Amino acid sequence: MNVDIVVIGGGPAGLAAALSAYRAGAQQVVILERDFELGGILPQCIHDGFGNFVFGEMLTGPEYAQRYIEEIEKTGISVMLNSMVVDLDSDKKVTVVNPEEGVVTMKAKAVILAMGCRERTRSQILIPGERPSGIYTAGVAQRFINMEGLLPGKKVVVLGSGDVGLIMARRFSLEGGDVEGVYEILPRAGGLTRNVVQCLEDYGIPLHVSHTIVDIKGKERVEGVTVAQVDERFKPVPGTERYIPCDTVLLSVGLIPENELSRKATIEMDLTTGGPVVDESMETSVPGIFACGNVVHVHDLVDDVSQAAEVAGKGAAACVKGTVERRDTVVSVKKGRNVSYVVPQIIRGHPKEDIVFYLRVKEIEKNVKVIISSQGEVVKEKKERIVKPPEMVKVQMEKAVLENVNEELHFDVIRLGE
Amino acid sequence: MTTNEKIKKKLEKFLEKKNLSSIKVSVEDRIVTIAGLADTWDDVVQIGHYAGSLKGVRGIVNNTKSRDITERKDEAQSFFRDSGIRMKLPGKTDVVIIGAGVIGCFVARELSRYNLDVVVVEKESDVACGATKANNGQIHTGVGEKSGTLKKELCAEAWPLYQKIAEDLDVPYEKNGLLILLTEESLPQWVPSFLSRIILTYIVPYFVAHRGKSVGDTPRVVNRKELLQMEPHITKRAVKAILMPGYGVTCPYKITIALAENAVENGVTFVLDTEVLDIMVENDAVRKVATSRGDISCRTVINAAGVYADVIAGMAGAREYTIHPRKGSILLFDKTEGYLTHQVSELRFPQDPHTKGGGVLETVDGNMLWGPTAVEVSDREDTSVSKSELETMVEKYHPAVPEFPLNSVITYFAGVRAATYTEDFVIGPSRVRGFIHAAGIQSPGLTAAPVIAKRVVDILRKSGVPLKEKEGFNPVRKAPPVFKELSAEEKTELIKKNSRYGHIVCRCEQVTEAEIVNAIHGSIPAVTMDAVKRRTRAGMGRCQGGFCGPRVAEILSREQGLPLERVTKKGGGSYIVASKTKVVS
Repeated sequence: MNVDIVVIGGGPAGLAAALSAYRAGAQQVVILERDFELGGILPQCIHDGFGNFVFGEMLTGPEYAQRYIEEIEKTGISVMLNSMVVDLDSDKKVTVVNPEEGVVTMKAKAVILAMGCRERTRSQILIPGERPSGIYTAGVAQRFINMEGLLPGKKVVVLGSGDVGLIMARRFSLEGGDVEGVYEILPRAGGLTRNVVQCLEDYGIPLHVSHTIVDIKGKERVEGVTVAQVDERFKPVPGTERYIPCDTVLLSVGLIPENELSRKATIEMDLTTGGPVVDESMETSVPGIFACGNVVHVHDLVDDVSQAAEVAGKGAAACVKGTVERRDTVVSVKKGRNVSYVVPQIIRGHPKEDIVFYLRVKEIEKNVKVIISSQGEVVKEKKERIVKPPEMVKVQMEKAVLENVNEELHFDVIRLGE
Repeated sequence: MTTNEKIKKKLEKFLEKKNLSSIKVSVEDRIVTIAGLADTWDDVVQIGHYAGSLKGVRGIVNNTKSRDITERKDEAQSFFRDSGIRMKLPGKTDVVIIGAGVIGCFVARELSRYNLDVVVVEKESDVACGATKANNGQIHTGVGEKSGTLKKELCAEAWPLYQKIAEDLDVPYEKNGLLILLTEESLPQWVPSFLSRIILTYIVPYFVAHRGKSVGDTPRVVNRKELLQMEPHITKRAVKAILMPGYGVTCPYKITIALAENAVENGVTFVLDTEVLDIMVENDAVRKVATSRGDISCRTVINAAGVYADVIAGMAGAREYTIHPRKGSILLFDKTEGYLTHQVSELRFPQDPHTKGGGVLETVDGNMLWGPTAVEVSDREDTSVSKSELETMVEKYHPAVPEFPLNSVITYFAGVRAATYTEDFVIGPSRVRGFIHAAGIQSPGLTAAPVIAKRVVDILRKSGVPLKEKEGFNPVRKAPPVFKELSAEEKTELIKKNSRYGHIVCRCEQVTEAEIVNAIHGSIPAVTMDAVKRRTRAGMGRCQGGFCGPRVAEILSREQGLPLERVTKKGGGSYIVASKTKVVS
């Protein structure tokens, strides 16, 4: 089967990318979704806070997804549900399995990767102890409560203060669960400030920063955990251990972009983001394979995912039409002071529109300036009152400015007055 | 002086020297019984090991307690488990096998060749739930075992059988060989470097190779250049290696499940979720086994109860040894297919006499595995992995493959070895007629298991149990289809017949709904999340069930007609969800 564009994943990234590719003139666009419905993680995110930027109103996850699904239904985009991609090669050959057709191979002119991310597990952060039931990543608990109507446990200790963990602390409280506290190994919260306020403070749930779980007890079901304070090097401080009886441990300790297929297609990866290296049109190192959403880097807000995915969709459509123009030399984006990563990592073409750069800082800093320079010359500055690692910084660069940039583009976060 | 008196005297002298004269010793029939109070659990183990090392000793019953352990679980936990398996215990049988680990299941399958009624009783809700499931799957040759031990004898006899066993049972087995690495650190620092070079280049390889030959292997000394070509990822510190081609790897739980299924096909009854509470003995002969599901009359009991073997033996009045639990932890990494083509173990002197100390290997599923460690513990069910063990594993095994990415760890777990103080298998009749020990099984127990089973059958035969070969015994068991391993055409064909093969539930391992359903309705039904995982690998991948967990739970609930609140991770009280959420009416 030959198609123009295959979109792998029907979550927010895949939906927005498919739609924008279609609107940009791509003919045959197919979304491959492994679940029985579209929307990715959104159907289980029944809290609000979605859509503020894209739709200018606060929606719940299912509502946000529904808006895109309805738009998709008006188009000629085909959707294959219960369809799991098991292989992808650098020739853009996609192998998919589903209950109706069996194993199907598709040859695409362009592929958009939108597989999202998965949650980091207990083992990946090496929490010692026993292996009882009752240890859940926040997303799994969310699925049980919001999709299945089942409460995983009654007395909960949350490790990690990522957004899903904070939201689930509140969710357990609303369901009558007792959330003993949220423990965070870093000296600050991992999630958005609005979630710390709305999910913990409003519910009287204590947040213990610079703390971690050092032991889990329970032969069958979790019986309790030992928490301890940690020093600057994240080592538990002896004598600060405290045993907390509980039946559930909830983990919100990070998300990992899901790039097994990207690796199969031999796409170049960025070790910091955990996702593919992409250019300004979200094209990866393999020509014709684009990527967007959490597969590229973990976003804080779904609105950003949708907006970045539109760029990928347009890029893929242009690739199919063969209207892409490349520069003679690639501009590489460099990360400088207090910058953990910047996406996109390279500029290969002559942008027809402004480009939004997404950057994450390493440390909290107040009153700063993001300085973007090229060949020793500042090309853009943006002031920020405060920057925090959990909150992505966006910098829009005008196409006219980019047109004059060569070889390198440096991103630095500088304190004002320095 | 009789042997008994000599043993007693030596042991008392040892205790006196350790200022532990309050500990009492008695010796009967060369079986030593020790009782009293020591300061630490380490002391308890040390006393037992000293006694076990004395000449002429047959067994050590070490009832010594220690002050540092407040609660020692000496009896099997007595609560009634029921994971929804409706299994009926027959009132009467010829042979009861206690324990459905790899030993119990090998014995069950071996006995299913004969016209006998055999019942396997297991306290957990699945087979392979004890030490078996936490084994590293290594098939040893016995090269590392002490001469004169049963461990060495049975292991050397057993390893060449594995090819055929794996074929019959349709389980993975790979004879990939072990590379014993000699490195600059193999000898202690105090050995002068010129001497060390001579020893490592000329003496050790030929000594080790000689030992390899004695267990039927065909060892070969590999020089550094060839070694680094064979295994580009191993440490550059290696100066030489000895290749032991006889070493292999299998999957310890898959083989146990296969054995149990084959035994069922040949007429054996498995009663799971059932705990042995007592064994009735009359006139020094076994009469009945009392269980949490009622009594079963029998003339023969085979004690394959692993870490509880001494407790079970005690029920029959045949406590001739004490099990001192020795924990082994394992670190498992994401798939690395082909990172190593052999198993690797770095030789270090001096060696710990009680363990060969594990190594580095790729499992039959392609995951990198490090371990197991060896730590004496007082609790038979202590399968926790401590922070220090995690650190020890990294320190011990990372040097052999120094470039291996540590952040690809996907899980860690521990099993408890059922070691006796004589540090050897105990396979034989007991002082109670019809009560047979298959106990003290530690490494290389998985390898030796088929021969242990044959020995048990020989003991039955000698004790007068009539063994008539069964007509129609079928040694072949076929594994259900594994979707991921099929070709595209075969996959499509399967999906046409059963669309559930087209529904991939576990993304990481690409396990389909049909495979999960097959496991739930197998002849040893998978009734828990972990049981499904062992049979299908659903939840064994890098996300550790993050995606498929709730879906597997739903399928278990649907297929068993149980509410999801009753689905468990591993039986007992290991429920997945506590209750329904608030009901909005």
